[in-house]
Amino acid sequence: MSSTTADCGCPPAAPVETYTAKDFRSTLKPIWCPGCGDYGVVTGLYRALASIGRPPHEIAFVSGIGCSSRIPGYTTAYGFNTVHGRALPIAQGIKMANPDLLVLVAGGDGDGFSIGGGHVPHAIRRNLDLTYIVMDNHIYGLTKGQLSPTTPRGAKTSTSSYGSIEEPVNPLLYVLAYGCGFVAQAIPSDMDGMTKVIEEAIRYPGFSFVNIQSPCVTFGDPEDQAKVQKAKMKKLSDLGHDPANRLRAMELAQTYGTDLYTGVFYRNPNPPQTYDHYIRERQEALRPKQAAA
Amino acid sequence: MNDLIIGMAGSGGDGIVSAGESLISALAREGYYAILTKSFGSQIRGGESSCRLRVATAPVLNPGGTLSVAVVLNWEDFLKFGGELPVGPDTVVIYEKKTGVAPADIPLKIKPSVVMAVPMSEMAMKAAKTLQAKNNVVIGLLAGWFGFGRQAILEGIRRKFGKKGEDVLAGNEQAFAAGFEYAEQNPIGTDKRMSPPAGSGGKRIVTDGNEVCAQAALFAGCKFFGGYPITPATEIMQHLQKDIWKHGGSLLQAEDEIAGIAAAVGATYAGKKSMTATSGPGFSLKAEVLGLASVSELPLVVVNVQRGGPSTGIPTKPEQADLFAAAFSAHGDTVRPILAPISVEDMYGVTVEAFNISEEFQTPVVVLSDQEIAQRKDIIDPVDTSKFKLVDRLAPTAQELEPYVRFRFTESGISPISHPGMKGGSYLAAGIEHNESGAPTSSGEMHARMNEKRLHKMDALKNRRDLFVIEGDADAPLGLIAWGSIAGVALEAVRAARAQGLKVKVLIPKLVYPVVEEVYQDFFASVQHGLVVEQSHQGQLHRIIRMWTNVPRKFTALARSGANPITPADVLAQITQISQTLAASPALVPTA
Ligand SMILES: Cc1ncc(C[n+]2csc(CCOP(=O)(O)OP(=O)(O)O)c2C)c(N)n1
Ligand code: SF4
Repeated sequence: MSSTTADCGCPPAAPVETYTAKDFRSTLKPIWCPGCGDYGVVTGLYRALASIGRPPHEIAFVSGIGCSSRIPGYTTAYGFNTVHGRALPIAQGIKMANPDLLVLVAGGDGDGFSIGGGHVPHAIRRNLDLTYIVMDNHIYGLTKGQLSPTTPRGAKTSTSSYGSIEEPVNPLLYVLAYGCGFVAQAIPSDMDGMTKVIEEAIRYPGFSFVNIQSPCVTFGDPEDQAKVQKAKMKKLSDLGHDPANRLRAMELAQTYGTDLYTGVFYRNPNPPQTYDHYIRERQEALRPKQAAA
Repeated sequence: MNDLIIGMAGSGGDGIVSAGESLISALAREGYYAILTKSFGSQIRGGESSCRLRVATAPVLNPGGTLSVAVVLNWEDFLKFGGELPVGPDTVVIYEKKTGVAPADIPLKIKPSVVMAVPMSEMAMKAAKTLQAKNNVVIGLLAGWFGFGRQAILEGIRRKFGKKGEDVLAGNEQAFAAGFEYAEQNPIGTDKRMSPPAGSGGKRIVTDGNEVCAQAALFAGCKFFGGYPITPATEIMQHLQKDIWKHGGSLLQAEDEIAGIAAAVGATYAGKKSMTATSGPGFSLKAEVLGLASVSELPLVVVNVQRGGPSTGIPTKPEQADLFAAAFSAHGDTVRPILAPISVEDMYGVTVEAFNISEEFQTPVVVLSDQEIAQRKDIIDPVDTSKFKLVDRLAPTAQELEPYVRFRFTESGISPISHPGMKGGSYLAAGIEHNESGAPTSSGEMHARMNEKRLHKMDALKNRRDLFVIEGDADAPLGLIAWGSIAGVALEAVRAARAQGLKVKVLIPKLVYPVVEEVYQDFFASVQHGLVVEQSHQGQLHRIIRMWTNVPRKFTALARSGANPITPADVLAQITQISQTLAASPALVPTA
């Protein structure tokens, strides 16, 4: 690895591309169950970060609590494994304090859409340049198999022995409705596809969201595992979907829970200015004028 | 007179609070000191309102007790404020003639010596053709009777109404003059006049605790604020949002208090001094993230402007009942230092100190302000900031970055801290227990060592005797302890008692928690009897001190629920009574 970027405060010089996936892998050994989808997610992330080419110390990687939220510790970035449901506001504070950082956020469906659900619309409408990856396994993994906000109706879990009697959240439709500028879905068994959307999400100038259907081998539905997913997967690009078409994206997103579309649902073709931009602008405008030398 | 307490009440439209504000600005320019407190009925706008203005030639310690002057625009509204506007036999009562009440029939239990029915509305209509000028009639009356400088008040009127056109300005000037002349023609005795101030006001300012807090935070280097509006803390955010950008910082009005503190934790993790401010209900919400800041050893300042609780309680009145919440919020074995300002001016030093302690010890620090300090207006001298030194968190040296061990065990318990962007400093911060390098662990041994590290690093706070005010006779058998806005009340009572020849002393902790045992033990060495004076029904400070120190058996509490003012006279009465008891039992020896 070699890098020409500044030690601190950035801003990133054009990276002299010399990073490999290995540069982002930490020495901590993941303690996920063998076969957990999250292994694939972290591998895809290493690869995506290698192509992005920002040095690890310029990346802040924030998560909540859950199996999936362990992910920052497995990277060489600055990691912050926070508390359940609060990764998004913490990440926004980091980005506001230092807009030059590349800030990633990750966590489970429970972390993001249940306990932390109230923060999602606000993170989206503020539009800081963050990338939010949800490892959606339709179950609470860490606490051993309770209902999650994305568990399908009827599913039997350790808190719904007779089957869930509530309608799941549709993460894709949610974030599209809130106005998210970049919305994609992926599965770890399609490593190339997943790596590509993560990379695209990071490159999108604004708040970007990637829903990764990452199987829980221990508590998840057998119908929700890697092999089945791979067979079910339909690439949006194969359908000829135009990611600039938000209404069509919403239509396709409706099928969350039945069809498994992967790729970019929506990318705002005219990304609005980010919150970070306005922060810099305001700081610049209000900075006390230096007395003339 | 060199100490005068004016209380005024009326309906929202009477402009009573605005009269208080105009007066205090004028008094500042003239060289007086003063405290202005405002109180409103439960309606957000338009209901009954009142204010108390205590004016003195020397710095004022508290809003005081019994009024020297009561200004009543209508009796119904005045009486609603009950104990907040206490009238005594020596109070001069001035009231609106239009109320139709004869001076002998005023609805007070006490018969004050001077009672004047003044046609305030009539004078306002005549001078300015609007009842809105009534407050300037009132100011004129007060200036005339008590000898406040005409010049400074007229200047204020000009500043306030100058932009509203010639007619409006002239009307208000005439309303003031009418009040002034009325006072001259109906004298109440020259013994009531204020003595002139010692010098001119110079650069003296009128400000409140929330504004001072915001200014001090910026001075201390605060670069991020995350918060959610809540009475009576909101003004801190309102002040900061104007200025923080000029200091290269930023501010987030978050979607709730959890997000507010969470964003602040993010910002401090990113290496910037940051803060949040709230009141009781918001503080309860922040508890979990406070714990995160403790375990990940991140500097953070959390201001809790206390109001009446539990729950929504009484948002507009002060109370000192969040001490337990601040000390014991968030689960786990941890200590979060708590600082409390004792006056508006003191809010500056305490806020700076909160940042310094948080940075030095890499810990969240809670500042327990209260509604009174936050929102009352004080005349203060400009803060001499040269006396403060600023502390920054310990950064790793180049050597310490090879390799970097974030939570390294050190003698002091404090480990150098990096931040994202610093090359070689990457680490995992976590709410989960971790080893020295930040890797998660569930080892009991490591947990014990980390707890010890996080607690031990606070030991150095024990040397901070400068964060305690002690006044009075060192060997006094009678002692008081008070904190926050009540400290000024206790201080005044102790001074008055000593002026009467009583032997008494007072201890005021600005560092309220952790309880510095040595300071209390030293204080108690001579003490047989005493009181913690506090505005909390349970006497929370009294109880917390008892958790850590051997409090003399007869050291009890004058503990009162919030929104029930404790006055210097109340405290003095207790001191007198205890002194008599002590005198009657001279055989008592201090407990070992
Ligand atoms: C405030 C709080 N409530 C509850 C928990 C317990 N808890 C930890 S993770 C979790 C849910 C995990 O599910 P998810 O977020 O979907 O992540 P996964 O483990 O499936 O990756 C819960 C309920 C907690 N840590 N904190
Ligand atoms: S419980 Fe499920 S989500 Fe958690 S590590 Fe195991 S497989 Fe993965």
